[in-house]
Amino acid sequence: MGLHKLRLAAAVPVTFSSRLFLKPFTNTLTLGLFSRHLQPRNKPLLVRAFSASAAVQDIPATQTSDSSARPLWKAAIDFKWIRDNKEAVEINIRNRNSNANLEAVLQLYENMVNLQKEVERLREERNNVAKKMKGKLEPSERERLVEEGKNLKESLVTLEEDLVKLKDELQHVAQSIPNMTHPDVPVGGEDSSAIRQEVGSPREFSFPIKDHLQLGKDLDLIDFDSAAEVSGSKFFYLKNEAVLLEMALLNWTLSQVMKKGYTPLTTPEIVRSSIVEKCGFQPRGDNTQVYSIDGTDQCLIGTAEIPVGGIHMDSILLESALPLKYIAFSHCFRTEAGAAGAATKGLYRVHQFSKAEMFVICQPEDSESFHQELIQIEEDLFTSLGLHFKTLDMATADLGAPAYRKFDIEAWMPGLGRFGEISSASNCTDYQSRRLGIRYRPSEPPQTGPKKGKANLPATKFVHTLNATACAVPRMMVCLLENYQQEDGSVVIPEPLRPFMGGIELIKPKHK
Amino acid sequence: MKGKLEPSERERLVEEGKNLKESLVTLEEDLVKLKDELQHVAQSIPNMTHPDVPVGGEDSSAIRQEVGSPREFSFPIKDHLQLGKDLDLIDFDSAAEVSGSKFFYLKNEAVLLEMALLNWTLSQVMKKGYTPLTTPEIVRSSIVEKCGFQPRGDNTQVYSIDGTDQCLIGTAEIPVGGIHMDSILLESALPLKYIAFSHCFRTEAGAAGAATKGLYRVHQFSKAEMFVICQPEDSESFHQELIQIEEDLFTSLGLHFKTLDMATADLGAPAYRKFDIEAWMPGLGRFGEISSASNCTDYQSRRLGIRYRPSEPPQTGPKKGKANLPATKFVHTLNATACAVPRMMVCLLENYQQEDGSVVIPEPLRPFMGGIELIKPKHK
Repeated sequence: MGLHKLRLAAAVPVTFSSRLFLKPFTNTLTLGLFSRHLQPRNKPLLVRAFSASAAVQDIPATQTSDSSARPLWKAAIDFKWIRDNKEAVEINIRNRNSNANLEAVLQLYENMVNLQKEVERLREERNNVAKKMKGKLEPSERERLVEEGKNLKESLVTLEEDLVKLKDELQHVAQSIPNMTHPDVPVGGEDSSAIRQEVGSPREFSFPIKDHLQLGKDLDLIDFDSAAEVSGSKFFYLKNEAVLLEMALLNWTLSQVMKKGYTPLTTPEIVRSSIVEKCGFQPRGDNTQVYSIDGTDQCLIGTAEIPVGGIHMDSILLESALPLKYIAFSHCFRTEAGAAGAATKGLYRVHQFSKAEMFVICQPEDSESFHQELIQIEEDLFTSLGLHFKTLDMATADLGAPAYRKFDIEAWMPGLGRFGEISSASNCTDYQSRRLGIRYRPSEPPQTGPKKGKANLPATKFVHTLNATACAVPRMMVCLLENYQQEDGSVVIPEPLRPFMGGIELIKPKHK
Repeated sequence: MKGKLEPSERERLVEEGKNLKESLVTLEEDLVKLKDELQHVAQSIPNMTHPDVPVGGEDSSAIRQEVGSPREFSFPIKDHLQLGKDLDLIDFDSAAEVSGSKFFYLKNEAVLLEMALLNWTLSQVMKKGYTPLTTPEIVRSSIVEKCGFQPRGDNTQVYSIDGTDQCLIGTAEIPVGGIHMDSILLESALPLKYIAFSHCFRTEAGAAGAATKGLYRVHQFSKAEMFVICQPEDSESFHQELIQIEEDLFTSLGLHFKTLDMATADLGAPAYRKFDIEAWMPGLGRFGEISSASNCTDYQSRRLGIRYRPSEPPQTGPKKGKANLPATKFVHTLNATACAVPRMMVCLLENYQQEDGSVVIPEPLRPFMGGIELIKPKHK
């Protein structure tokens, strides 16, 4: 662990620019970390034709890259499947507006397979030579064999180095291939997202309403000004009843979700950057959402999904242990670099916030039903709080790379005069588990088993992972303050939260 | 040179003026550098010390109070790490892979216990007139320095953010102190009393040895911190109020502890006087610090620039502010730990364990945990 930070800070290839994300819950894996190849004039990545016969000679000098910049980890990508389904993969890449270069992947894969065969062929020849040298030979014959052995050995060394580099490069480009997409997901951009459900209706106000910033000031609940001095913009202090409200939201959410069999967790908020990458986020590179810690390979998490995903990495779980269902609390930190404009006001977009996140690890055949369970939990929570919202089935261009399907919930924020995202539920199928190395061993041996693990154990499979926001406190606070304000300037506390706030029913203006 | 002059006289004056100007420029530069250097060295002069504070090192600290006595166990006891494993409450192993050593996940009832501790502490301290706050955990490094901490340099306790002048806070004292920096408060606004929740991040660089086990020393933890801004003549009584609140909290939880008046060599530079509370941790077999209450008098306020304007004009006023307003004075600041969750958890788990491996929840916390009275072993 821990290649020096300096080596990893190679310049990003010009043609690969990170997407600008205005929504906080989407993310994509791009190539910022591993950019060893700077070939902006052609395709950004080298694609060389490795023919079996040319394997030894045909190595352009430019391929000699810094071996110290090898990827820190490998995703267990199913290259054969990609090759066998390349049309579908290509269409998917297009639908998602992804930067992934499928052609390069296929070419590199083929080169890799051929080179692999060549290496194996040479190894076999070297073994044959070694065998022959064991018998009785004429001196000239022996000398010839020695020479041949030496040549084979040198060629092998070179080819094996090449093979390593080729595999690294293949990893590098293949990692950016996004997850496949659920057939029901609408194809297109933001406007194509489908409405799965709409709950409630906008409250009609008989008086001029305030936005949450004004309510926050008038009720002495939120301080952005001091925070701007102490920390910078998009930071804030909560005061008085707002503190109680945050705690009530988290406490209530926890108790509701625990009833559905989710295990409560609190998590580290500093993690190794490799974990961040394996979950499909990009710690380094322009406009990264991720804060890095000076002098280390560590980052601050943007969501508890990351440390929770990391709990079971590089593990083989028993089938009987699944599903694993967690509700995890953490503070989350996001740079919001690249986010500009009106969608950044007040609590709507901040650098630090509290969040309760649901995370599920399950068998592949169960992930769709868990996705439904998660979105149902979210809809129940927000319905209980009396919010008006719509659940969207996000269109292909709005899915982050890891998501097979993503439901976003947007709630009505009357002070802002629009709907704003308050939660996101993604089924990542095996995208994260292939990177985090989370497998399970089925209990029953498969009927037709082409490949079995050791000692007649069934072969392991990759789990599916899902994540869903149970409560993102600042956005919930925007909703509650703006929707529950009254003409006299007070704010009503929704009933479910009152027991968790010492019974407080109303946030009243304070007289000074 | 404004008057009527002989040409030679004028020329002489012009020459003199030029010389004076050059000398001034040099001297003014020197003055700036000298002031900077003076600041630089003077900033490390520690606060003065309360006359009752014992002089000396650790062993010289005086016991202000001792509450309770060590529980007698009729069975072999476990430390909190073992209890955490056996009751599936704490996971250090996964955290070591994901984040590194001294990080952890809390699971199951431990999550409820953390929330109960914070909720209960909040409700108790609010009753004493403290305003609840949550704070940023990323702050500009200058604020960290003004509070008397040292963000950069060997063995710093402070994590810095790459590519910025920002750091992670090690305590809510820092962002709370920053709220009123460069301000003049009205005397009528004082005292300001806050109870602030935050996560705290500490590198613990240089901490090694036995006192680093499990939850005792970690890089990230939740803490509720009390912070008071008051008039100078009131800081000693607020120090007493803060330590009393702490002692009441820990007594309510049934802990055995002693309050120490820390000796001079153990005071941080900002503290005029510091009371530490050490609680008995039977699994570790020793007392461990669970809270600290410092009276920083004007050490932090002189750096943060927090002043107040007295209401009454002073009787003999050598110097008055503008327009007959009384001159401003520096406030006094105090800070005290109401609840440092991991250390509290060590105490509760180790002290309340039972022979069958379960842990009793102290009564005050039960209503804040949905009524749970016991953490029971889970059968697998």
